[in-house]
Amino acid sequence: MVSRVDVPKGGFNFDNYQRNLILQEKGFSLPKPTKTGTTIVGTKFKNGVVLGADTRATGDTTVMDKNCFKIHYLAPNIYGCGAGTAADTDKITKMVASQLELHRLATGRESRVATALTALTQFLFRYQGHLGAALVLGGVDVDGPHLFSVSPHGSTDKLPYLCQGSGSLAAISIFESQWRENMERDEAIELVKEAIKAGIFNDMGSGSSVDVAVIEKGRAEVCRGMEVPYPTIQKVDSYKFKPGTTAILSESFRNFVTITEGDAMDIS
Amino acid sequence: MDRFSGNFDRFSDLFNPYDSNPTNANHAIGDFTKCTRKPLVMGSTVLGLEYQDGVMIAADTLGSWGQLARYRNESRIYPVGNFTVLGAAGDMSDFQHTKHMLDSLMIKEYYTNDDHVLSTPHIYEYLSRVLYHRRSKLDPLWNTYVVGGYNNGERFLGYVDLLGTTYQSSIVATGLGAYFAQPILRNAVEGREGILTEAEAIEILNTCMKILFYRECKTLNRIQRAKVTADGVEISEPYALPTEWSFGEGIRGFGTQTQ
Amino acid sequence: MDSFLPVQVSWTPQTAASGSDFYPYTNNAGTVAGISGGDFCVMAADTRQSFGVGYLINTRYQPKMFKLSNGSVLGTSGFYADGLTLIKRINQRLEWYKHAHDKEMSTPALAQLLSITLYSKRFFPYYARVLLGGLDLEGHGVVYGYDSIGSYEPCLARATGSGGSLIQPFLDNQIYRKTPLGILQAPHTLDQVKAVMRDSFTSATERDIQTGDYLELFIITAQGVDVEKYDLRKD
Repeated sequence: MVSRVDVPKGGFNFDNYQRNLILQEKGFSLPKPTKTGTTIVGTKFKNGVVLGADTRATGDTTVMDKNCFKIHYLAPNIYGCGAGTAADTDKITKMVASQLELHRLATGRESRVATALTALTQFLFRYQGHLGAALVLGGVDVDGPHLFSVSPHGSTDKLPYLCQGSGSLAAISIFESQWRENMERDEAIELVKEAIKAGIFNDMGSGSSVDVAVIEKGRAEVCRGMEVPYPTIQKVDSYKFKPGTTAILSESFRNFVTITEGDAMDIS
Repeated sequence: MDRFSGNFDRFSDLFNPYDSNPTNANHAIGDFTKCTRKPLVMGSTVLGLEYQDGVMIAADTLGSWGQLARYRNESRIYPVGNFTVLGAAGDMSDFQHTKHMLDSLMIKEYYTNDDHVLSTPHIYEYLSRVLYHRRSKLDPLWNTYVVGGYNNGERFLGYVDLLGTTYQSSIVATGLGAYFAQPILRNAVEGREGILTEAEAIEILNTCMKILFYRECKTLNRIQRAKVTADGVEISEPYALPTEWSFGEGIRGFGTQTQ
Repeated sequence: MDSFLPVQVSWTPQTAASGSDFYPYTNNAGTVAGISGGDFCVMAADTRQSFGVGYLINTRYQPKMFKLSNGSVLGTSGFYADGLTLIKRINQRLEWYKHAHDKEMSTPALAQLLSITLYSKRFFPYYARVLLGGLDLEGHGVVYGYDSIGSYEPCLARATGSGGSLIQPFLDNQIYRKTPLGILQAPHTLDQVKAVMRDSFTSATERDIQTGDYLELFIITAQGVDVEKYDLRKD
């Protein structure tokens, strides 16, 4: 009988996860990742999808980035908003975007939203929730407009309007009270802006300005800073230091080049 | 500790530091001093807003027992005196205790027969000191209260929770209502308290309660409203909110399914 | 949640007599700052009250800085219920003092009173970051900074609360004028100090999510206390 001791295991190995837990118990805690306390939303409208995001990235109670971009490119006709651990959402969308690009080159066809969705969910499921990425995925393909949300564990949701992130509760209340079927493009953009603003003002993890992406058949438009709902308050005073503020203790000059008088250089 | 009133009754089998699941067989029975740390029958959201005639609050009528929708006709709004109304989220037995305590207080004040009645700010102050005192004894009243009132032309709306944290505002929401309803209330009410009509106020509260029914597991679409105006307190009978689910008819599955 | 405990205390959920695991503190956050000048004192606090858990704003306007009956100003941040209770106790003691001595308590005496009041709850502290501002016996502005259990010292400029660590270095630079050569103290006018204070808070609001909505400035001079209100970011 063949020994089964050395049969290589397939799939992932979570030994390091166990090791890290033990290390943490002994006081060696892991560095904390930047979490994008976030409001991201998406809605379908008559002939497309609108995605929206705020632009604040937080680390605990500190704003780490006042204008971060949370609407990620996946394909020319597909975009995804990311909430959760910033590094995870950035990398996952980049990797899937790359897969989709290769797939397009191999098949010569436009990417489908379902393909992006499957790639994302399978990827996330493999990591059993250890990648903290929550996404709102939207796009238009041969089958028309699609909107999905993806949770860190890889489960998906399909609804005409969706929100993710810490401000999702504030944003969903706007959708639940104002959303209508078959909205015009402008109406949908306005609604998305309202929902993001609800997150910006009511959720401390969300803030700054509203980014919007509108995807229609054969056309995708990403608008960075579509609305800045609260102006930056100008400073009353200026805090530029006057020349001479730094005290000079001593001065010393040294020549690095010694110039010796002589004949002029021949430049003829 | 999860002292967020929306999670008071969210039992997790994996992590439940309060052992607050009433269906847990390991519960210590007979240790009466622990009662308030194991809230049993729980109420969810209370909403409140100020409008031109006074103050209006709303609450659904569900008393949850763990995950079970146990009591469907639990009134969580209670008048205190003639111009004050109390809305309660959290443990319903602690709420009953509070009602009894406030009734006793009002009766004691009446006995003195000095023409002085406790107005809403007095009742609010008293209640918040009681809650703070109980938290300081580490024996909290497991509630979040909304106190609304109208006295001498002044609107009053205040919040106090089981830690004694207080704030007054023209809009107030407890539990998950603070997440779901607060944004809508802020948009609709802030800055318009003086011009908001009664019909508009009712419409706003109905919308908010409906969203909570859609999105929160422990809210019912059967609600009660109360208003306090110059005419005194008026508490409505429970009524059902109409709901709309037709948007789901065209949806197939949750992912790539098409039929 | 345990990191909310401001100092090492013997009280823990496990050692509580009743065996409760109820946690009696929360952090309603917010920022308080004070700058003292030659004959004035400027105290400032934002007015946002947050829930303490999660990213929820309770209300945009709940003042946490109060003028006391003797003309001093007391600002608190941290656990709002504790801060409010502390202020009620202090006001009560000021009232008794007034009736016992037929005069208002001086700010330095009040500073000592505040210290012992905080220390009286050494093992179940008021989780309040407190700042006291006023005029001393000579009429000079003075700011007292505290920890939650009563250690205190008078200072020229002090910031505490959730945005305190953002503002304090700025005040060190602008008010103390600290340089490697030592303290080069520059005279500051009331207008300069007010500008520094307002700009401190607009900047702190940019980077601290729990600070914002409105700024209340309390300007304490021999004439009394003026209150000014300014806008801060609301996101």
